[in-house]
Amino acid sequence: MHNYLFQTKLNFRRIILRNKSFFIFDMLLPIVFYLLYTRVLTTGLSTQALTAWNTNYLISMVIYSCMLGGIVTTSNTLLDDQTSHFRLFISLKPISKFQYYSSMTIVFLTLNLISSILICLVDIFVNHVVISLPLLILLIVINLAGTIPLITLGALTSLAQKPNTVNLLNNIIVFPLAIISGLWWPINLMPNWLQKIGKLMPTYQLAQIERNLLHHTNVNFGAIINVFAWLIILALLFLIIIKLQKQKGLVE
Amino acid sequence: MKTILEINHLNKSFDKQNILHDVNLKINSHSIIALVGANGAGKTTLINLILDLLPIDSGYVKFLIDDNWKKVTGVMMQDNISLHRIKVKEIIELSRSYFDKPLPYTELLTIANLKTQENSFMSELSGGQKRRLSFALALAGDPQILFLDEPTVGLDSNARNDFWKEIDQLRKNGKTIFVTSHYLEELENIADRFLILQNGTIAFDGTIQELRSRKGQVLIEFDSNLAAAIFNNLNMVISINQIGQHYQIITNRPNDLITALNPYLSAITNLQIKQTNLDTMLLNYQEDSTHA
Repeated sequence: MHNYLFQTKLNFRRIILRNKSFFIFDMLLPIVFYLLYTRVLTTGLSTQALTAWNTNYLISMVIYSCMLGGIVTTSNTLLDDQTSHFRLFISLKPISKFQYYSSMTIVFLTLNLISSILICLVDIFVNHVVISLPLLILLIVINLAGTIPLITLGALTSLAQKPNTVNLLNNIIVFPLAIISGLWWPINLMPNWLQKIGKLMPTYQLAQIERNLLHHTNVNFGAIINVFAWLIILALLFLIIIKLQKQKGLVE
Repeated sequence: MKTILEINHLNKSFDKQNILHDVNLKINSHSIIALVGANGAGKTTLINLILDLLPIDSGYVKFLIDDNWKKVTGVMMQDNISLHRIKVKEIIELSRSYFDKPLPYTELLTIANLKTQENSFMSELSGGQKRRLSFALALAGDPQILFLDEPTVGLDSNARNDFWKEIDQLRKNGKTIFVTSHYLEELENIADRFLILQNGTIAFDGTIQELRSRKGQVLIEFDSNLAAAIFNNLNMVISINQIGQHYQIITNRPNDLITALNPYLSAITNLQIKQTNLDTMLLNYQEDSTHA
């Protein structure tokens, strides 16, 4: 337990505390998007429509910030650990791989937690959206659980092993996924065939779960199953690719 | 001495190409075992298989000293760990934290020779310093077996001498060291046992003395203004190297060669008979294999 806590502490230091420029950028980008879409591009909307738009867009940007933290940060950090031979170092020590990955996941979830809280604070203090504290906490907790598949996707992307390929994959995944999931603008503005694809995505389904919660509508079990299924599929893919890479001699 | 590692009928191939073929080994405690061979002979693959970094095609590797072999082994791979934004003292403490009875922090810092740089980030260290740090990290758990893959690459000659002295001391303290290196002259002076890996098989397993007697080779050096063709025609010559008027001849029949040189003795000066070194013997092994 001691080494687990120590390793997690070091992970916090190297990924967040000693990497301030990245941290600030990672936190600010979704906030800037949120302010842009709720303060600048919303002229002409009635007060009621604006409130609804701000609330829905809060969910979108909370999930988008977790996409950045979950996919981009995870993949780049794990890739960095591979190129600096830290993963090889870990695999030769008497600890399980689970310890390494779970310790990293705690850091990535914390990053997501901080960014979610910051966007909610902007929402409350700048856009004056009223959400009760228990509901806000519940939203954030559900959001964190829902972003575990995104962290798994980031870990999967890191297996591309080359920085250029990983960056390319991140760009191919993050922005299109945000768009087709309806995080940047309403999904019904897109063609039907694209909507069908978008509605299968875990980010769309997570947004549905959170919006239902926010609007006090029924729990969407289909969406929960969808997100869980994505987690299982991505985790299985990750394990299979790790095994295949080991067989091909791509040592750690 | 007792057997602490057993390798039995180990086979490994990549893309239908045999890298290791039927490797059998027993490693005893309190010894230094040098694994040598040409580039691509399969040295790193063998280490990776022992350390479970690659899946084994057939055969097995068995550590006989602890159920969890990672608790009793220390590994220094060819590539140094160099994490960004982590300090020297932190990585040493992290390494110690994985073991029940680690070496004291100050001892590891001394081994790494980084007493004045414990607050430096790992990425700020020079190549030699990173190598020393990797060595200290391998020793963090006070391991019974050390695996060292090219441990002295990047170290200057003083640091290399100090390194081998420490390895010698570790052997005296009862450790087993399994080492690969391209600096064969260093291994020659310290290893108890040599394994020559060639084309995926163990071509030789024994001491340097056994290797010499088995090959029975000596190096005969002299200066002469005679043409090389005269010596090349002698059938007891294994190989000949001419640098100006200086000749180096390797033979496994030194008495016959000296007899054959008798007619030319008036034209030969500075005649010396020397033991062949590991480099030469390894080269001859490779040549034998090529001719076979």
